[in-house]
Amino acid sequence: MKKLRFLLVVSVLLLLSLTAGAQDAVTLTVLVEQGGLWLQEAAAKQFEEETGHTVEFVNVPYGSVFDRLSAEMATGGAAFDVATIDVVWMSHFAPFAEPLDALFTDEVVADLFASLVADAQIGGTYIGMPTWANTEIIFYRKDLWEDPEEMAAFEAEYGYALAPPTTWQEFDDMAQFFTRDNDGDGEIDMYGTDVKGGVADFEWMIAVLQAGSPGLVLDAERAIIIDNDEHVAGLSYYISHHCEMDVAPPNVNEIDWGVAENLFYQSQTAMFRFWGHAYRLTRGDSPIADLVGAAPMVAGPGGVGAIPGPWFNIVPKTSANKELALQLVQYLYDHNALGIEAPLGLAARKSAYAQYADVEGFENLNPLLETLDSPQTIGRPAVADWQQIADEILGPIGSDALTCDEDPAELLAWGREMLEAMGYQ
Amino acid sequence: MKATFAERGIVALLVALIVIVYVFPYAFLVSTSLKPPADALTIPPTLLPQRLSLDNYRAISEFPSVQRSFGNSSLIALLCTGITLLLAVPAAYGVARYASWAGKLFLLAALITRLIPPVAVGIPLFAIMRSLGLTDTHIGVALAHATIGVPLAIWLLASFMEGIPRELEEAARVDGCSRLGALLRIIIPVAAGGIAVTAIFVFLASWNEFLFSLLLSSTGVKTAPIAIAEFKSQYSIQWGTMTSLSVLYSLPVILFSLLMQKRIVAGMTMGAVKG
Repeated sequence: MKKLRFLLVVSVLLLLSLTAGAQDAVTLTVLVEQGGLWLQEAAAKQFEEETGHTVEFVNVPYGSVFDRLSAEMATGGAAFDVATIDVVWMSHFAPFAEPLDALFTDEVVADLFASLVADAQIGGTYIGMPTWANTEIIFYRKDLWEDPEEMAAFEAEYGYALAPPTTWQEFDDMAQFFTRDNDGDGEIDMYGTDVKGGVADFEWMIAVLQAGSPGLVLDAERAIIIDNDEHVAGLSYYISHHCEMDVAPPNVNEIDWGVAENLFYQSQTAMFRFWGHAYRLTRGDSPIADLVGAAPMVAGPGGVGAIPGPWFNIVPKTSANKELALQLVQYLYDHNALGIEAPLGLAARKSAYAQYADVEGFENLNPLLETLDSPQTIGRPAVADWQQIADEILGPIGSDALTCDEDPAELLAWGREMLEAMGYQ
Repeated sequence: MKATFAERGIVALLVALIVIVYVFPYAFLVSTSLKPPADALTIPPTLLPQRLSLDNYRAISEFPSVQRSFGNSSLIALLCTGITLLLAVPAAYGVARYASWAGKLFLLAALITRLIPPVAVGIPLFAIMRSLGLTDTHIGVALAHATIGVPLAIWLLASFMEGIPRELEEAARVDGCSRLGALLRIIIPVAAGGIAVTAIFVFLASWNEFLFSLLLSSTGVKTAPIAIAEFKSQYSIQWGTMTSLSVLYSLPVILFSLLMQKRIVAGMTMGAVKG
């Protein structure tokens, strides 16, 4: 009888412990787009193995991350415990995001690029933990840049050695040098570079930072600086490849990032400025598949500069598993380097990039590190109406400037008027 | 009066032009799907592939979730069509047979719901479905799609049913049929062509729907339009894979429409002449 009672007690205890274990196992739902899935999948799997919890990624198209999370925010929904969002949406979702100040220790801040630390805060509160950062760097054809005949011809013409460009002047020289009509039929067969008029709301502002502007459109105090000298210089430089030098395919308005990428990989441009991740995604069937080189973004009068494109993990205030979600965000930061071996090959931490920088096949990481770490690599202002500014002001300014009939300074003065009409001073 | 050769020629030319305008985008889609991925986007664009390749179709096997999404789309579209017909057939019958002010008001209300952009009702619908625990379920998405399908079906079916002579129904009533019996045994078989056409339109509306599917699905019931759209990422669009998937996704509908062509045309003209 005693034995039976003992067995019964042990069985009940075992059952209770099993039940307790089952209750503790939680499924965390993470909203991502394809990049977020690729870059965080490995770390999330490791998190599952170590904790026994489950991480379920809800993968949606890029723009739909905003739509899904907006629907959650509007209805107070708790469908997602973590959401991986683009930097341009941070202001919009700030009221919906749990403060993450506790995660940003001195050690964490020191290992993140300054622009990411700035972008992670809205109104002085950290609301997003950077999960990866991308930016535009220089891609060039190694077969051209390392060809002894090309090197000799370039040096003879320009008086210095052919190497990946580091300044505006070098970029211009090389763009002109490689713009060629190879078969003499009067048609250009290869352009030195491109001008991406299809993403004019973004591209010309990179040159603004290289010109030395302290910020884009608005300064740190949200005062209008869209018509400062650096904006004028940047816009003028952006259009010069099309309007003055003719070193880019003339149909600039058709050229967005996807087209620019194809032009380069179909060897119709010799070099171009593009997001650093593309190096790892070079298509095997491209005629230049093994001939692509990567270099840091060029410097203008203000130094090397680019606009970072970081993504952040936020924890919605409505999450039913907030504590565990914060643990996951911390874990994804701690194991940030695991994402580098994923297709996009990106991370947010300096140490993660440094870990792979000298590994074969990751030659884009040193240029990315250098560009992201430059003081003139500055994020877009964290204002809720940034998309409106981009669509209604920056895009038209870029497009109008590319007609080559408008004065950049006048266009930017119009930009100021538009911003003032939106309530900025 | 017989048309002259020149008149027939002009009509044929106009028809050919209209066909080209309609067919060209699809032909370009098919052509792009047969180009190697690197050639999918060239400047200047080329209509015909310089090299034929099935790489874009082979690549689909690497995405099992996309394959599942085709199954989800089929199931949801079938469920939506079933729900819609179940609700719309009696509603249209009532409107057609009782031409009262209430019926006209009901038709007007149905029309108004068609005029409201889906994005305006997306969030309220999402909130309702969530409170019912129906998010990320086939039935939840099908019900959401039915909100688009039901008004469309009521309008189509009402005009079909108005074309059916009342005498048929009255004869059935004289023979002892109840009103429901007359609907089931007389009206529905006679309106079968119109119901089939309506079913096809409702199926297509659900098959191609994007916004409600996006808001209401997570991992379990993702539909094909969402899965295809995922190939447009922040930095690029994988045109090759997107076009091959789009071709595959459109094929069943095209084949079905071709097979049912006679019935569709017959059904569409059914309500045109009132007896």
